[in-house]
Amino acid sequence: MLRRHSLSLKMLHLVLLLSIGTSGIVQAAKPPSSRLYRLTILPVLQSKCYPCHGSETQEGNIRLDNLGWGSSVELSDLVTWQKTKEMLDKGSMPPKDADELTVGQRTILSRWIDGEVQRIKTQLKNTTGRVVLRRLNRLEYQNTMRDLLKFDMDYARDLPSDSLSPDGFRNNGGSLQISAAQLEYYLNAARRGLDRVIVTGTAPEVFTHKFETSNVGGKWFNYEVSNYLGRWQGFYGKMVDEYPEQGNYRIRVKARAEIPENRGAPVMEVSVGYRPDTEQIWKVTQTIELTTEASTIYEFTGRVENHPLPVRGQGKFPGLVVRVLNQYDDGAGKPKEVELQRDGKKKKGFPSEQGYPVIHIESVEFKGPVFDKWPPLHHRNILFESELRTTDEQAYVRQVLIRFLRRAYRRPATDIEIQKFLRFYTSIRPDFPSLEEAIKETLAMALISPPFLFLLEPVQNKKRELTDWEMASRLSYFLWSTMPDEKLFELAAAGQLSKPAVLSAQVDRMLRDPRGWRFVTQFTDQWLKLENTAQIAIDTSTYRGFKINLKEEMLQETRHFFQHLMLTDRSALNLLDSGFTMLNEPLARHYGVAGVYGQGFREVALKEEGRGGLLGHSSVLMLGSTGRDSHPIRRAVWIRDRLLNDPPPSPPADVPDLDESNPEFAKLSVREQLEVHRNKESCASCHRGIDPWGIALEHYDAIGKFRTDVKSKPVVATDILPNGQELRGAASLKQYLINHRSEDFSRALVTRLSIYALGRDIQLSDEDLLDDLTNDFIRRDYRILGLIKGIVSSDAFRTK
Amino acid sequence: MRSWHLNRRTFLLGSGISMALPYMEAMGNQTAASELPARMCAMYFPFGVGMPKEGSDLHKWRWFPNGEGKNFTFNESLKPLESVRESVTIIGGMSHPNGRRMGGHDTGDTFLTGALFDKTLLHNTVSVDQVAAAVVGSQTRYSSITMSTDGGVGEPTRSSTLSYDIKGRPIPAMNQPLMIFNRLFGLADEDLKRQQRRLRSASSMLDLVREDSNSLRRKLGRQDQEKLDEYLSSVRQIEQRVRRTQRWLDIPLPLLTDEERSMLKLESDAEAPKEYMRTMYDLMWLAFKSDSTRVATYQIASMADASSVAGPFPFREGFKANLHTLAHGWNKPEGAVALGKWDKFMTEQLTYFLQRLKSTQEGDGTLLDRTMVLHGCSNSTTHNNNNYPLIFAGGNKLGLQHNHYVKVGSDVPMSNLFVTMLDKMGVEAPVFADSTGELAPIHT
Repeated sequence: MLRRHSLSLKMLHLVLLLSIGTSGIVQAAKPPSSRLYRLTILPVLQSKCYPCHGSETQEGNIRLDNLGWGSSVELSDLVTWQKTKEMLDKGSMPPKDADELTVGQRTILSRWIDGEVQRIKTQLKNTTGRVVLRRLNRLEYQNTMRDLLKFDMDYARDLPSDSLSPDGFRNNGGSLQISAAQLEYYLNAARRGLDRVIVTGTAPEVFTHKFETSNVGGKWFNYEVSNYLGRWQGFYGKMVDEYPEQGNYRIRVKARAEIPENRGAPVMEVSVGYRPDTEQIWKVTQTIELTTEASTIYEFTGRVENHPLPVRGQGKFPGLVVRVLNQYDDGAGKPKEVELQRDGKKKKGFPSEQGYPVIHIESVEFKGPVFDKWPPLHHRNILFESELRTTDEQAYVRQVLIRFLRRAYRRPATDIEIQKFLRFYTSIRPDFPSLEEAIKETLAMALISPPFLFLLEPVQNKKRELTDWEMASRLSYFLWSTMPDEKLFELAAAGQLSKPAVLSAQVDRMLRDPRGWRFVTQFTDQWLKLENTAQIAIDTSTYRGFKINLKEEMLQETRHFFQHLMLTDRSALNLLDSGFTMLNEPLARHYGVAGVYGQGFREVALKEEGRGGLLGHSSVLMLGSTGRDSHPIRRAVWIRDRLLNDPPPSPPADVPDLDESNPEFAKLSVREQLEVHRNKESCASCHRGIDPWGIALEHYDAIGKFRTDVKSKPVVATDILPNGQELRGAASLKQYLINHRSEDFSRALVTRLSIYALGRDIQLSDEDLLDDLTNDFIRRDYRILGLIKGIVSSDAFRTK
Repeated sequence: MRSWHLNRRTFLLGSGISMALPYMEAMGNQTAASELPARMCAMYFPFGVGMPKEGSDLHKWRWFPNGEGKNFTFNESLKPLESVRESVTIIGGMSHPNGRRMGGHDTGDTFLTGALFDKTLLHNTVSVDQVAAAVVGSQTRYSSITMSTDGGVGEPTRSSTLSYDIKGRPIPAMNQPLMIFNRLFGLADEDLKRQQRRLRSASSMLDLVREDSNSLRRKLGRQDQEKLDEYLSSVRQIEQRVRRTQRWLDIPLPLLTDEERSMLKLESDAEAPKEYMRTMYDLMWLAFKSDSTRVATYQIASMADASSVAGPFPFREGFKANLHTLAHGWNKPEGAVALGKWDKFMTEQLTYFLQRLKSTQEGDGTLLDRTMVLHGCSNSTTHNNNNYPLIFAGGNKLGLQHNHYVKVGSDVPMSNLFVTMLDKMGVEAPVFADSTGELAPIHT
């Protein structure tokens, strides 16, 4: 049986703040125990607690004597009481060197606090535990617009980034604000999108170019130019005048490959761009690995207008250029240029190296714009072909609206809604030159309306079950970060989504669909705070040769690891420790693992002791670093917060950070620096419970590589937790986590996943749900997929 | 004829004068309607100026004046400014620190932005005129006008516009006098009509959305209502702005006098540089005079010399080289004289504009007294990205001190000048790009 966990201090505070709204005060009924309080509780508090947490001194910034109790309670008071109870139960308070509580006093005090807290929780339960009306975040908006209009462009380019929720998630209704500027961007993006999607005029001219050799000479683009692409060599096809300014394009590269033994396959990067003058601008269409040597046609598609385009008549080097590069990189850097014999002349260039992966370009073909017929599909999806259009414009527009609104609103629009849109269309139509121009404005109105921008689930006071349409949206935004697809809509229309078996099958389908990767990246990046690695600049004077693009590979390891555990249905305890990880060639080279070739991630057994689990991932280790050295405190806080959901309190404002700029201090190893820290009385009380978690990982540097020495001294990775547990390095830390903290970890993962799934903070009223989910999760061997199914079939997910 | 084989002039239409809503983010202080307006404009030319050695035979063709502060004398190139000296400050030693880190050919785009290009996509940042336009733009029919000889946006590092929006995207410049005139005083073209239609439909769209959301609100619980209220207040804010902009649709375009009309040579083009430049200046002057806008930029020539229609300007005025070649002669005996004469030609056109502003009465002063004019280049000589040659004129009644030759050290970024300009435009506590404060010597 699980014990009830109390929520962390900070979290609880915010949870309450949100659930109670802006008033900031819980109106509690007069407690029935007030006599008990006066006669029994207060005297204990006065004699045992107030001396250190009273008006005179406030150890750890906690003051108990002025906490309100009884008729009204400040939120912060409630949080403090909760924390006090936790300390009492753990036996951490009063401290060993202070006046002890008798067993009886301790019990009565604890029970009393518990009773009061429970009473208020019950009161909250009836009105809270609901998802707050939440708008689509930036990513969801981008995906939804693209899927709705079936047209790929950067809809979200102007939108500001979304604020993080207290728990670090970007899909939290409470934290997602909307402003006038933002609404204006929505209107602009809708118009911009519809202007592209709905076309006018006749079919544009289609351009086709087939290049058998590069037609841009010499080393004009800083790369050796030829059909033979060794490392750092490229093929360029330039189209001077005859290229489209917009529309889909298709590039077909016919190529052979040489894949030497004991090296990876060549990496083909296809880009479109041009050279304005001294600088060049490229945007990559796609990068793929050539895994077969045989002559093969590789096809790439994109939209011309999403690439940098030259301005006709204004450029010094006119023309749009297709570039194909061999981006294979063995980490050794660019080869040295040598004298080459070409066209009877000596020229400098990159050598043909033996034993490296090579691409032989046979031809490169560009075609654009490509469309099945005119007007193109994305246009016909909205303005479908029908005689009605000419015979009865009103009736036609009505049909257009019914079709469009069902997908935009993610449910069938009501008659009243359709009437309203039709009225708008009719009123503006005379001002516009064509049906197309007027319909664009009409559809734009839908795209700035609440049913599109928000996950709207209208409900007044009583909780209700979600409709099947609402369920379809909750599922698709949870697992795909976008609107439901046709399959989900079909199931919703048939009233099937409320059936448990259907729901479970949909979760399986959705997570195995390529769009399921969005859940993986969104959840792992936000849960594990991987996004923050962007702010860590790796010091390349310490880590010579470190390539910035390795950072992305590091994150990919962690995401693939999570997805792999989920889809192969393995225990989530592998996140704490595992005998394998997910690697590709660049990352394997980074870890010094031999025999992994190619860019794809695959399961690789780990031989290095202590490397298993998330704490062996260089993404996580880098996150807990300064970019130059490890940062044990960051690592420790990360473990306690992200893995155990027990973050230490924030340091008081007057505590300085570890001072790297002080030369004397800087000479010390981080471990010695921490000693200095912990010898300060004001720091010690907290840091005893923090530092050991990070110290245990001291064998890993800022980029996650194993080390035996730091600043010319042997690494010391041993320390003792406040409960007496000794941690001797990474392996021992992981052992301890698996053996003693797997319950806490499970609860933490369940909590964070529920927060992400529900799009709101966890509230006191959710404790039962979390208990049940955690129990189930543990009983069923820690399966993530099962947990996700548990969440989506829970009342919290299925009601509003 | 293929669609892209259109006449270049027609092709580069661009939206250099726009009725669309200005972006909201930079909304700031606005002057009261009763006060006389503050205005600003900026002109740019490439490749620096003549700077023969001090004390040499060619000294008189040095662009920068002699002396410093109040005591300075013009050399030949700037002599035409003598007549408006009381309203002119020459600034020496100033540049964009970020520009000093970029290629000598590549700083034209950042003259009014102070940005440092990222190497992959060459993104720019907002230009100073657009920051001002975001604040004062809603008080005039057009928030700003953007003009250049080449028109359009050009290519990054060789742009043919000086203006960049709040997101750092280039604003297409207009280059045909007739088209600019029609936008300001004549018949609306297709692009403008479309903007006007969408402005009207936005107004009724927002109205409906608001109405609808109000009835939706009643179906929601309290917390959801609070969220929806955020949305509703955003709708109301935009509605107000749409209405303010829409007002202009009902106000007739300003009428010009016969004299003003006959003065304009709207058919002029880059074939006759002097006439073309003066026509562009005339249009700017008329736009200010009629209070159609308070913010303007005009790129006289761009860094894309070989492919720019302004490249051959000197040829057309009887010189023996194009702009680029002319500029490269700055340290050769013959070249220095030719370049000096070209510099003087440019100063004469600017002086023509300043005189026009000065001869137009406004309140207790002249148009020039309330119009800041910046004229300069992001190179000192050919491709040196420091010590920009800068003429800053007008705005005496906005609290600017002139008749100065101000020399600053490299620690004073050009953004400080922009901060001073924004301050005079009524932007509250302005900061811009890498600014460190106001430009003290000219600011009172």
